[in-house]
Amino acid sequence: MATCGITGSVRELSADGGGRAGKETQALAMISDEALMLEFQRGSREAFEELFARYREPLFGFFRRRLENRERAEDLAQETFLVVIRATARYEPRALVRTYLYGIALKLLAAERRKLSGKEQSSEPGQEPTVDAASETALWVKQALEKLDAGEREILMLREYEQFNYAEIAELLRLPVNTVRSRLFRSRMALKDHLQPKRRSRTENITARPTEDEGVK
Amino acid sequence: MTKTNHPIEQEELMAYLDGELATDRAVTAAAHLEHCQECQRLADDLKGMSQKLMEWEVETSDTENMTDIASALEEREKQPEKTAVSDWRGKGVILRGRRRVWVGAFAMVALLVLAVSIPNWLRSRNGLRGYYAPRDTFTYDAEGRLTTAPQPPPPRSDRNGAAASAGKIYTYDSLNHLNSSGYMDGALSSPRPETKVRQLGVGGSGGTTGKLQSKNQAIDVQQLDDEAQSGDDLETVKSDDLTPSNGPLIVRTAGLTVTTKEFDKARVALGEILKRHHGYIGELNVSAPSEAGRTLTAALRMPSDQLDVTMTELKTLGRIEGESQGGEEVTQQYVDLQARLANAKHTEQRLTDILRQRTGKLSDVLAVELQIGRVRGEIERMQAEKKELAKQVQFATLNTTVKEDYKAPLQMAPPSTSNRFHNAAVDGYRSVVEGLVDVVLFLLSSGPSLLVWAVILFFPVRWAWRKLKKNLVKKDIPAAS
Repeated sequence: MATCGITGSVRELSADGGGRAGKETQALAMISDEALMLEFQRGSREAFEELFARYREPLFGFFRRRLENRERAEDLAQETFLVVIRATARYEPRALVRTYLYGIALKLLAAERRKLSGKEQSSEPGQEPTVDAASETALWVKQALEKLDAGEREILMLREYEQFNYAEIAELLRLPVNTVRSRLFRSRMALKDHLQPKRRSRTENITARPTEDEGVK
Repeated sequence: MTKTNHPIEQEELMAYLDGELATDRAVTAAAHLEHCQECQRLADDLKGMSQKLMEWEVETSDTENMTDIASALEEREKQPEKTAVSDWRGKGVILRGRRRVWVGAFAMVALLVLAVSIPNWLRSRNGLRGYYAPRDTFTYDAEGRLTTAPQPPPPRSDRNGAAASAGKIYTYDSLNHLNSSGYMDGALSSPRPETKVRQLGVGGSGGTTGKLQSKNQAIDVQQLDDEAQSGDDLETVKSDDLTPSNGPLIVRTAGLTVTTKEFDKARVALGEILKRHHGYIGELNVSAPSEAGRTLTAALRMPSDQLDVTMTELKTLGRIEGESQGGEEVTQQYVDLQARLANAKHTEQRLTDILRQRTGKLSDVLAVELQIGRVRGEIERMQAEKKELAKQVQFATLNTTVKEDYKAPLQMAPPSTSNRFHNAAVDGYRSVVEGLVDVVLFLLSSGPSLLVWAVILFFPVRWAWRKLKKNLVKKDIPAAS
């Protein structure tokens, strides 16, 4: 399978530390994203595979945290790389590759959200939950985040999960840096409020549970 | 938390914890955070929140589903050169949907503008070229017919007695008669006074004396030298000889501008006046521009003694707008010319006598003949000059302008709607046909050079277009740069 070719080759390169390929992989790992992108622009497939390896999971996580459907998250992560492949000839190293990739991802996400906005109601119930039911904290965090304003939530998530600095967030969302900072502060304060009651109710649930069990017994 | 209690804002504290605070403020924040419990609590909350957020972990991706990347990479490797082009075409990044429509519409509009503007431009150029020439200029030919022939050069006399005028060349034959009658209505006889000429034979003698007779003036014709020994067939016009004994010889010119309400009548009257006074038209132009009065401009020639009478009669044609008269005395010039001519003839006579009576070497004979030839040439030149001068004295020039007092016609009934539609349709059809013809002519005339320029500019323009495409695609993908 073609995909196995890419991922497999990446895995092989990563695993084979003794051979020439392994040395190349190690060498590639030391190269910056921008240099890899330029190499890929010149036709180096290995450079792209290194970039793919670096950003595959972060980009999937980016989409996964923002979309209910796992398959769509994977598709969009893949679509991000496809856009990169198609637009390689036009790439100019004037900004970080990371910002470039997440810029594409944000565009794709916006398009996906527009597409989903019409059929959101019908598709919601049947969708797979984003987090495991076992991870109550994750569910709790997710629900708290959902209560935030959309714009502020995006800034907060870019900061916390994608670890962008204020300037990069400002560039991605085309906002002034000060606006990013104030909105981030607002969103954190709001999230703090959203998390505290949940913590209390959760504590209450935990304390109440033995009583119920006792009742069953 | 306020600034009165805390040197830094909560937001600044958050930025400090994120490593986004400026150095000076970061120092202040660090110092304050060491002893401010309230700020420490906030910092703990923010840190704890970040930790809680990080508890939301997502599962790893399934790379087996990412099939398209491999195929895209392979496709790119197969066509590395065409990736960019096929990309934007295939995906329609630039010319997709509405953009393609807009670009097409723009191209159509540009073509339409070109199709309309080029013929107009060419037409305006033609119009500009024609601006310098009177639009409705009519020239009367020798027989008085109205023609639209191009303007010939103004009348000019040469030494052989040929005079050129608009649409007409007045030629004097060897008898100095005006061959072609250039008079209005073509009915006038020769305006020249009766002349008597004598044809000289080889070694001819016994000249005839003639007198130039005009209506009110008798011009003595100089008796030709009977002893002319030239031996050629030269015809001498006796009418060109004047005697200044009656007074100074003056070349008279005059100008007259008249405005009349009845242009056509004035036009006919002008011809009649000229006919009465034995004059003729040197040049005549009639211009009839649209929405303006007609104008007749004529250079009239008449016997000098008839100039005043003719002018007086012409003034009756309408309101006088301008009048001028001038005269150049040529008596001295004429007398001088006459004396030089007599001397030359005398010299020629003496040389001829020498050739007859003396005998000598052949070289001497040839030298005398050479001198005779030179003197003969001078005599001919001076005779022509004298003839021209005499003609100028005999005939005065009157530059006449007759203007029509124009009244704009009042159009009472507007053209009917159907006529207007018809005219508009005809104009439209004509415009389309002329436009097409003009475009074809333009392509035929400029096509080769355009082709050359297209070949020259093709590669730079293609390079610029690709550059533009890049920029447009980057706008579609904002973070791309």
